[in-house]
Amino acid sequence: MHFKLNKSQPLKNLYVPHHLINDQLRDFLMGRLWLYEHLPFLKETIHQHIKMGYIQTIPGIRMIPTTHKLFSNKKYICNRCHNENPEFFAHFNCAKCQQICVYCRHCIKMGRVSNCSSLVKWIGPQRKNLSSYHPKLNRSHLFRWKGVFTPQQQKASEELIDSVKKNLVHLLHAVCGSGKTEILFPVVAECLMQHKRVCVATPRTDVVLELAPRFQKVFPNIFIQALYGGATVEKRYSPLIIATTHQLYRFEEVFDVVIVDEADAFPYTFDETLQQAVEKAKKPDAPILYVTATPSDELKEKVEKLKGGYSFIPRRYHGHPLLVPRYVSLFNYQKQITKGKIPKKLRDWTSLRLTNEEPFLLFFPTIELMEKAVPLFQKLHPAIEAVHADDPNRKEKVAALREKKVPGLLTTTILERGVTIPKVQVAIVGAESGIFTASALIQIGGRVGRSADCPTGDLVFFHHGITFEMDEARKEIMMLNDMEVLM
Amino acid sequence: MREKLPQMTITRCYLCATPLPNKLTWCKLLTQTKAPVVCEKCLRKFEPVTCQQQKYKDVTAIYHYNEPMKDFLHQYKFMRDVVLSKVFREQISQHLKDEKATIVPIPMHPEKLKERTFAHIDELLNAANIPFTHLLEKKLPTTQSSKSKREREQSDQLFRLKQHVTIEKIHYVLVDDIITTGTTIRHAKSLLLEAGAEKVTAFTLIQG
Repeated sequence: MHFKLNKSQPLKNLYVPHHLINDQLRDFLMGRLWLYEHLPFLKETIHQHIKMGYIQTIPGIRMIPTTHKLFSNKKYICNRCHNENPEFFAHFNCAKCQQICVYCRHCIKMGRVSNCSSLVKWIGPQRKNLSSYHPKLNRSHLFRWKGVFTPQQQKASEELIDSVKKNLVHLLHAVCGSGKTEILFPVVAECLMQHKRVCVATPRTDVVLELAPRFQKVFPNIFIQALYGGATVEKRYSPLIIATTHQLYRFEEVFDVVIVDEADAFPYTFDETLQQAVEKAKKPDAPILYVTATPSDELKEKVEKLKGGYSFIPRRYHGHPLLVPRYVSLFNYQKQITKGKIPKKLRDWTSLRLTNEEPFLLFFPTIELMEKAVPLFQKLHPAIEAVHADDPNRKEKVAALREKKVPGLLTTTILERGVTIPKVQVAIVGAESGIFTASALIQIGGRVGRSADCPTGDLVFFHHGITFEMDEARKEIMMLNDMEVLM
Repeated sequence: MREKLPQMTITRCYLCATPLPNKLTWCKLLTQTKAPVVCEKCLRKFEPVTCQQQKYKDVTAIYHYNEPMKDFLHQYKFMRDVVLSKVFREQISQHLKDEKATIVPIPMHPEKLKERTFAHIDELLNAANIPFTHLLEKKLPTTQSSKSKREREQSDQLFRLKQHVTIEKIHYVLVDDIITTGTTIRHAKSLLLEAGAEKVTAFTLIQG
């Protein structure tokens, strides 16, 4: 039985032989944009569905003419990651298609997309909604959360639900430690009740790893798929996907709501294709909810321009103020560390933490400087460790700090967000470095005093001169603390 | 007819995507050294093999198989990032440009070639501008990396001579990407020697 589908002919008017559909294939591919050669199904099954018109194939790379007045040239666009920067395309003599082939290097980590490879997507009948089986989804069956909100959290949570109802973009601006993730639970529950497909996207893999189990605990009876580089992808339908923004390259027009957590984190703000990926992955009129402690001016302007909603929580959930940083001068620290000596003020600070048995985080501006400092600190205590972005044991080391097996960690900005360690004390070495922007400094400061039983602590900026960004961060923190809040 | 292809310039490191300094120096202009395609930081992560560390007789390897090299080979061979063939073009060229012997790359099975879409050894040599001749053919499409050490050592001759080629009584240099147990090189070497070659040595990028 063959079906040829015209674009003008809507699908639902056709007789659809449901028994011929491979349910697993449909559930997996619905909303995805996947490399044909990477589909985890038999080639015959896939071909059969292509023939029936349920799967569409599109070329990996398309070429469009540039509209320049003087130089008419052509440029490539990757159909998966929408990269069009010529620096990330490469030519080669392809043995498969016997001609010069072009491929995209921008998203190559997800499998190579080239001229002669195709991407597939599901255009066949949609999966039957659960509602046809369970007309009334039981809220308590779906959503198990027994927490209590502060009045501010309650208000923000209601505002989010309201924006989703109106299909409006929304910015949730909440300080570090104000319970952002919890505020998201009711709105996600509301969407899932209406059988909407939700995606929580974030630029950081660490954040995905932290969020996924928390969501699974609150929504125990649905399948939540966590997606990040190296994750195992199950051949099942998932109404709630928690993914890195990179993974959204592989989705198209599928989500009814996208929540972008830590919307100001690197590389999301830096890489335009990631922002496009979010736009591409959601249905055209679906709302995006941005969540961050430190929204950039661009983001605020964007939300304002779209007449979106805005919620602001200036106070932590336990009601205590944010820690105000202390400035301590540490001139020529770079030279001293290179010479094999920890500057005295820094050594005293660390020793005090060690004698008080308080866990600490020491932030460094570069990996090189940190690696020079590690052996010096290990003389103070042999168990002190260091973590950076490429460290395969990062998760274990942070867990060791939490369990007090390690007295303290040296780190780069990789731990600036998404990390909660009770009673942690924080110092930044070289707070004047360009990498420590005001928002990075606020995020790092947000690591201190997160738990209700220990809301204070020490936050030190060791510096070689005070920068505008440092002052900006301190001013912002003090301003937030001075704000009147309804309690 | 060949269409005009959009231009591509190398301005970022192929491995970490940081912008490369692109200074035109007299040295570059006069000696025709090719501009590097990776940054110095990435290049320093690869660990060269010294003369004393060469594991196999008559085999010259230039790098150890450390973590960055594993990542490199994975991205090149398995993610099929063809442009990475240029990363070591200077080093390969330095070793082979004055070689008087005939260069013979280890071949790929045609089936495998279609799957990978490029011959990785040929591309390495092309990038380094080293002329070569194919004399061998792979008998089966199975890969060495899928076999255990014992299976490798016991396997039958992996190669045969290509049709209509004659092996002269001269020196041949086999080229492969990585030497792990030495089986591949041993098979190719014995085949060439039996067919009348005077001397067969080998060159590999990596020593496992």
